Amino acid sequence: MAKQSIYQREVDFLQNAKDFMAKGEYSQEELQLEAKNLIENYEELVSQVKIITKISDRLQKKLNKTNDKLELTNNQLNETNIKLNETIDALTEAKIGRKAGTIVMIVAIGLFILSEAWIEPIIDNHFPNSEYPFVGLALKLVVAILIKPGEDLTNRYMLRKARKQQIEEARLQRNNKK
Amino acid sequence: MDNFFIEGSKQTPEISFNAELGELEIKGRSIPENTFDFFNPVLLWLEEYAKSPAKKTIVKVNLEYFNTSSSKYILEILKRVKNVMNDGHDVLVEWYYEEDDEEMMETGEDYEDVSGLPFSLISVEED
Repeated sequence: MAKQSIYQREVDFLQNAKDFMAKGEYSQEELQLEAKNLIENYEELVSQVKIITKISDRLQKKLNKTNDKLELTNNQLNETNIKLNETIDALTEAKIGRKAGTIVMIVAIGLFILSEAWIEPIIDNHFPNSEYPFVGLALKLVVAILIKPGEDLTNRYMLRKARKQQIEEARLQRNNKK
Repeated sequence: MDNFFIEGSKQTPEISFNAELGELEIKGRSIPENTFDFFNPVLLWLEEYAKSPAKKTIVKVNLEYFNTSSSKYILEILKRVKNVMNDGHDVLVEWYYEEDDEEMMETGEDYEDVSGLPFSLISVEED
């Protein structure tokens, strides 16, 4: 069975007119009637094509407007997403910074206690006459100087770890969506 | 006569025709892959309805978007409704459009001009 077209009626009219002409024999009256039918149908077809084209163009305009709106919304969404990621990063950095500061401070306090309780007596035993009175102090100074770089290093290490974790989580989410 | 109902989808409109009440409603989006397969049963039902229509026929069109071939079928539907009117029955086409949808409003006006049917263009608030 031939595939039905949305212009089936018009195609049928055209075929009828072709069949009529192919007959070869027709009276003047038949010819006039056929021509009248053909003109009427052609007129109807032209009127339909005009209106359909007009409507189609207008709806294309509507589609374009919707696409523009969609693109704008998409861009706004992307911008918001970027800002959101920046805020999340800043929050993560602040959280990690606090954590790194606490860790380094605990380590430093530990080192000071260790220095007071264990290293200082050893120094006193080795240098009883206080030949080097600043050894103990210098040791504490070294620990104090190392606090800031130690905090930075710990911070960087923890941030790297957190970012790796974020990337891994994003990858897993993408895989789950698939 | 049996009523006619096609559930709407992302690509096809909901079609709900009630022969007894004379209410014919088309709503949603019309971008079917095969418009002939979708609309031909609609046209056949209308041809049957036109033989013994309700006292008053109200056609409610509430379309968000439709493709070119659907626009041809809407015209065909309106032509069949025009036949009902030509047979001496009351007919009204209610053409719904969202309040800021200028294109759909103008499309309704075009269909009104070309079909010669009485139209009521009704603006509705966006969802």
